[in-house]
Formats: sequence, structure tokens, C-alpha cells
Amino acid sequence: MALYENIFIARQDLTTSQVDSLVDRFSSIVTAQGGQVTKKEYWGLRNLAYPIKKNKKGHYVLFNLDAPPAAILEMERNMGLSEDLLRHLTIKVEELETEPSAMMQSRNREYSREGSFKPRSENADSEMEINPIDSGENS
Amino acid sequence: MKPAPQQEDYSSQSGGREGGNTRRPFFRRRKICPFSGDKAPKIDYKDVRLLQKFVSERGKIVPSRISAVSCKKQRVLSQAIKRSRFLALLPYVVK
Repeated sequence: MALYENIFIARQDLTTSQVDSLVDRFSSIVTAQGGQVTKKEYWGLRNLAYPIKKNKKGHYVLFNLDAPPAAILEMERNMGLSEDLLRHLTIKVEELETEPSAMMQSRNREYSREGSFKPRSENADSEMEINPIDSGENS
Repeated sequence: MKPAPQQEDYSSQSGGREGGNTRRPFFRRRKICPFSGDKAPKIDYKDVRLLQKFVSERGKIVPSRISAVSCKKQRVLSQAIKRSRFLALLPYVVK
């Protein structure tokens, strides 16, 4: 079976539970055709670099797939039909990443930076300082 | 074909970084491709922070003669940037 990466962007006004149901739906399509979803990553509601269908934000989801081409075709077809999706991209890869992708790692890096800041501020107020920084960098 | 003889020139004077060569007063250190070598980062369309360094303020891909990315890696890089543009991780244009 071939290895694929798939990313799709869901509409901004969906709730996270709706996104979860989408994830379940697409992964069940793949598994039904004899494929495997080796990794699922939810990147959260991210700002889009440019508006797509009047959306400024989107829920990003990453799949790592090990599936036959027929399963990918069926999943892509369903993604195209779904009105909740803004974009989807499937790429054939040589190797699947087992670790969290660059997107998740960069988020962790931010956390680790905060960790290094914490000892300096010492007091309980540090939490108050950290939160605005966090939201600013994510947006 | 042009850059090849130049590169040979640079490597021959690799000893003096500050110049000291009368023939070439402006000695420019030979640039190294940021994606070659042991600790080179992997080009990945999901790594926005990395790709952002190779995109101009306007959102254009920086030419390899400026960023010193090797020819082979520049092709991979431009593909990655285009993918992440499609996914709205990077802008097509910044107005």
C-alpha cells in the first residue's frame, strides 16, 4: 500500500465536535477500503493567510494514511462533495512522519519558551503574563 | 556555466576572510546552501516558520542566488511553498 499525507481545512463555524465527526467519517471511508490511518492531528482553528469562501479561519486536520489508491480516491471524492470543507490536499510521500509534524512542534516550542520565562517572573502573576503572549503568537 | 569558475576562485582564497587580496578588494564569503550539510532542516510544506524565511515581504519566493539555496533544494523548496500557499498557510500576495 502507498503512503499518503492528507490535510483538509474545515469551515470556521463548525464546532470541534463536528470536526471530529468529519474526521471519523473520512477515516472510516479509508479503513472500510482496507487502508489505515496511522496518525491524526488536529491543528485547531487557525487563521488563513487569505480568505477562502469568505472564511478567515479554518479547522486544520492532518491525516497520515497507509492505504490503497482506491481508498484515497473514494475519500477525496467525498471530501470534494462535502460542503463543510474549504480545501483538501493529498500528497504521496516516501515516508510517513511518526513524530508530531512541524506545526505541532512549533507550538510546543512556544510552550517551552514560556517555560523558560516562568522561573524569571517567579510569582503567581506569571500566568497572567503568559496567556496574552500565547494567544498573540498563535493568531 | 558562469558561476563555476567564480566558485573555484573563492575556494582558492578560502584562507583569508578579511580579504588582503589586492585583486579582489570586496571579498565575499562563499555562501552555503542552508539545506545541505548534516544539520540541515528538512523542507516540509507544513513548516511555515522555516518557509517564511525564503519568502519576500511581498510573499514572493526568494531567488536562490540571494538565499544561496542549492538548485536541487530550491526546486523542492518552491514546491513546498506552493503547497503551503494552497493550504492558506502562506499568502500568495501580501498587499
